[in-house]
Amino acid sequence: MIAHPYDNVALCCPVTEPYVRRSEHDAAWFLARTLQRLLDSAGIEKSAIDGLCVSSFTLHPDTAVGFTQYAGLSPRFLEWLPMGGACGIVALRRAARAVQAGDAEVVACIAGDTANETSFRDLVANFSSFSRDAVYPYGAGGPNASFALIADAFMRATGATREDFGKLAVAQRANAQRNPLALLRGPLTLDQYLASRPISEPLHLLDCVMPCAGADGFLVMPEPRARKLNLPFVRVLGAIERHNAFPDDPVQLRGGWAMDRDALWTQAGIGPRDVQMVQTYDDYPVISMLQFEGLGLCAPREAPDFVRRHDFTIEGSVPHNTGGGQLSMGQAGAAGGYLGLVEATRQVLGLAEGRQVRNAEHALVSGFGMINYDRGLCTAAAVLGRA
Amino acid sequence: MIRLQRCADCGRAQYPPREVCGTCLSERLNWDCGDSLPGHVLARTVLHHSNEPAMRARLPLTIGLVQFDAGPVAVCLLADTIVPGDAVRIRFNADALLEAA
Repeated sequence: MIAHPYDNVALCCPVTEPYVRRSEHDAAWFLARTLQRLLDSAGIEKSAIDGLCVSSFTLHPDTAVGFTQYAGLSPRFLEWLPMGGACGIVALRRAARAVQAGDAEVVACIAGDTANETSFRDLVANFSSFSRDAVYPYGAGGPNASFALIADAFMRATGATREDFGKLAVAQRANAQRNPLALLRGPLTLDQYLASRPISEPLHLLDCVMPCAGADGFLVMPEPRARKLNLPFVRVLGAIERHNAFPDDPVQLRGGWAMDRDALWTQAGIGPRDVQMVQTYDDYPVISMLQFEGLGLCAPREAPDFVRRHDFTIEGSVPHNTGGGQLSMGQAGAAGGYLGLVEATRQVLGLAEGRQVRNAEHALVSGFGMINYDRGLCTAAAVLGRA
Repeated sequence: MIRLQRCADCGRAQYPPREVCGTCLSERLNWDCGDSLPGHVLARTVLHHSNEPAMRARLPLTIGLVQFDAGPVAVCLLADTIVPGDAVRIRFNADALLEAA
């Protein structure tokens, strides 16, 4: 069954509170700064925001509820979306339906986190009850160890090599060099990637994202409202989410996209070859390869061949993570779940400046989140189109 | 000694343990017990970095995903010589684990 179309929904005002390696500010500050950027970008007063979606790990013990008081908002629609790398697309889906139903008129979607010496360890140690009890005591490797196990199984199943992973990382760095918002902009060669120190084999340092502080956001509103405000916007042609897909697979060699991609492309009315760019959730290049397979860019188990055949830079055959992705921009906690969506929105709006993809009419964005135990549970994807 | 949870109603084994069966939601859960339980290795990593200072002296540490013959998958510490595909016996060794905070 295909869900109702996202007619009459405008996605606009992609904003980023610049990422920094560490910050003395708390998460709410980053979210509030992002809210202000949304208001400035749209030229509206805070009182115009009547819907709010929030995602953050370090806002704890607060949630979206506490943030309404912190920032003096009185929304009639409120979502707290602790879905990590899927939170951006899920926020878009929630906000779009709220706007269509009239439950809200202008929905601010924001995600962000702070970072300090202990915040990452604290997050990982208590990420979930399953991981606290059944993963963390076994070496305390955090997500590196969990993804290393998936990467090891993926390499055995598909023949993927470190060179394949490195090709994606190197292309993303080349893209990041054209993005002033990226934290890691130094040149990167495949040899440097291959020579980086092992963290949790087969993963090495340059497979891993750098935790940092920062936030991203966007607005969702009815198209007439966006037109009245003279805001350029993009359309949501299709969007999917799935949680805890394929629970009987012993190792995660596919995500939930495989269950829903036909619905996504049918709803969007276009196919994987009709998009001019792909933004995946890249906490480790191996996970981007799962998304290429899951979203139909290539067949299952054929991601290595797909990677070898294509060029993932901005002028390449498959522009991928055109802002540098998390691997080169940094992972600002939950903002990592927004980064690809915000970048795709900028690209389709023609606002990507020195890294603009030519003829960027359609974009595919994917999200992946929450290694609750041995696998990421939340998958999501969206197809955006020029209005 | 190791124990693995099994549903008395649907017969499905599960891990990590929980208060209901993740398959049929029954509360009637028993334990398969033994000095060790059989399984095989699905994936392996050699860990060179730990988030916990207490673990760092033990690095590098070999960790695996191991599937019990009974079905569930567990994150385990592996003897260094074990590789994916190997049949193994899984036992519980609290001394090898990070102590709960």
